[in-house]
Amino acid sequence: MNILPIIYLSYMFISLYMLILFLMLYIKNRKNFFSYPESNQKLWVSFCVPAYNEEKTIEDTLKHINDLDYPYIKEIIVVNDKSSDNTRKIVERLKKKYKKLKLINNKVNLGKGGGMNVALKIAKGDLFAVVDADSYPDKDSIRKMVGFFNEDRVGAVTCVIVARNENKFFEKIQAIEYRVIAFTRKLLDFVDAIWCTPGPLALYRKSALIDIGGFDTKNLTEDIEATWHLAANGWHRRMCLDTSVSSTVPTKFKPWFKQRRRWNVGGMQCIYKFRKSLGKQGMLGIFIVPFFILGTFLGLFGLTIFGYLTTTRIISKYLFTKYSIIAGTPIVTFKEFYITPNFLNYLGITLFIFSLIFTLLILNILKQKLLKRENLLIIPFYMIIYLTVYPFILVTAIWHMIRGKRIWR
Amino acid sequence: MLQSQKHVFWQALIFTILIFFLGIIFGLILENWRNSKVEDLYSKSEISMLDIKAQTEVYSTGFYNCEKAISENILFADKVYNESKVLDRYQKSSVLKTEEIVLQHEKYDILRALLWINSIKIKNQCNASYYNVVYIYKYHSGELEMIARETVFSKLLGELKERKGSEVLLIPLASDNNISSIALLMDRYNISKDELPVILIDEKIKINQLTNIDELEKYFEKKHVVLNKTKNQEIPLSLKNSLII
Repeated sequence: MNILPIIYLSYMFISLYMLILFLMLYIKNRKNFFSYPESNQKLWVSFCVPAYNEEKTIEDTLKHINDLDYPYIKEIIVVNDKSSDNTRKIVERLKKKYKKLKLINNKVNLGKGGGMNVALKIAKGDLFAVVDADSYPDKDSIRKMVGFFNEDRVGAVTCVIVARNENKFFEKIQAIEYRVIAFTRKLLDFVDAIWCTPGPLALYRKSALIDIGGFDTKNLTEDIEATWHLAANGWHRRMCLDTSVSSTVPTKFKPWFKQRRRWNVGGMQCIYKFRKSLGKQGMLGIFIVPFFILGTFLGLFGLTIFGYLTTTRIISKYLFTKYSIIAGTPIVTFKEFYITPNFLNYLGITLFIFSLIFTLLILNILKQKLLKRENLLIIPFYMIIYLTVYPFILVTAIWHMIRGKRIWR
Repeated sequence: MLQSQKHVFWQALIFTILIFFLGIIFGLILENWRNSKVEDLYSKSEISMLDIKAQTEVYSTGFYNCEKAISENILFADKVYNESKVLDRYQKSSVLKTEEIVLQHEKYDILRALLWINSIKIKNQCNASYYNVVYIYKYHSGELEMIARETVFSKLLGELKERKGSEVLLIPLASDNNISSIALLMDRYNISKDELPVILIDEKIKINQLTNIDELEKYFEKKHVVLNKTKNQEIPLSLKNSLII
């Protein structure tokens, strides 16, 4: 057997394993998938809203925080990270309206992590809630998330992130992606393998954040780093699937690409930082770090194989066309369209169908309004085209790492 | 609760291995089925070939029925040619049982070598007017350039076969399957491995440069046949890439 089929089979095996793992986790836990514990203690929450040029959305964000149905809100700290727009003025105006609102104006730009660390130092609550300045938490979000802290060693709780703008094709694809991420994150919750408590809304136990020394200001994805760090220090991370926070997704390819590249760079920074955890420190070393390393390797290796196959195919086609022109033979004829699929094709199609069913199942379980007949075409597009771009992002991320370009924005 | 769920990693692995194993078994069944199909075709062709060979032996004793011998030979050649296309398709889609399919290919090569020898005999004995067109190529070539050339050569010959029909007896032969009879035939007609792929027309004209179908057809014009037969090897200037043996 040649090497290429072995590579294909390896990829299929890993994909099938992940699919079965997720399916089994869902089947085992489907009854309490959306459940959340009621809080049995009075936990005060300090909100932190890091802001940099957020004049368009910050007022709505603060309104949503103020409208939450959770009674124990200690304060809402906006860290204005030297914005050059009207963010400061807007927050100052809102301070009169929202009594718990506090504003910190950084004299120098500290970045998101740095800003949050400033807020963490002055926060008085038991819990520290991070809300991105363009994200709107659901009214019941904190109330439903707080109960998870009944367990002493829970260090962070996250919830579903939904795309607020999901009208255009590109936005709809991201909306599907966000749902898939939320679903799989909940599944990972059951094995204590949540690897990210994302910025739009993450609720941390303040003592846990202090335990890990706050947010890493050098990491481009401080939320991933904090989650890994919590895991390394033995803190559990939980997910509430019954509530959500809405966030704006990039509407154009370029900002989307930049955002994903930043995520990749941050992920690789985390791999490097926690490389010694491999095989140790519970699920961090047994699952999270190996999963990221394997994902990076498979992405790069897959892209290399793809590049090799594409190049040889292009050269072959070029030579074939050149010789066909010399010989005057047709380049394409209908007679050649025999379909004789090999068994790898059958396996690939079967795997694709399973993945498609899994995605549909996710959207159905999460009662996704995208699951309309006219939108069904988006799902195969998401699976075939959208996800294929990821290895290319990985390569550019590595290139950025090599060149030392670690800019958050 | 969390601790107990960690067994799911092993359980999922066992399930994956099971499903994957089923997939591999399916692959083996599929490729075995295809191989047995080729095997069936081969067995039938082998019988036909032996029958034709026996007929040729009978003709050599003096019981001549050239018309029948020629038509059966051409029909058989066409059959084998079509079967080789099926074999080719199965071979391209073979993943697990590649060695078996290569073995089938070698068996077909021997069959086609026999067909060629038989065809030469019939042509001599019956003064047949059809053309033996033998296409000798590298089967195990990994070079992209060679693969592209060979693909165009076989397309060209496929087109020729369509145009000429039973006037042409088309025999594709792999040169590098370690089959002694083919090596001997190549030696006999002075074909080296370096000049492959080669088209050999009536064991006299050797073409190893790509040409277009119209140029190729000129080799089959009646006058050339007459010329070849009278050893007056006069070939049009336009056929500069050919070589008279």
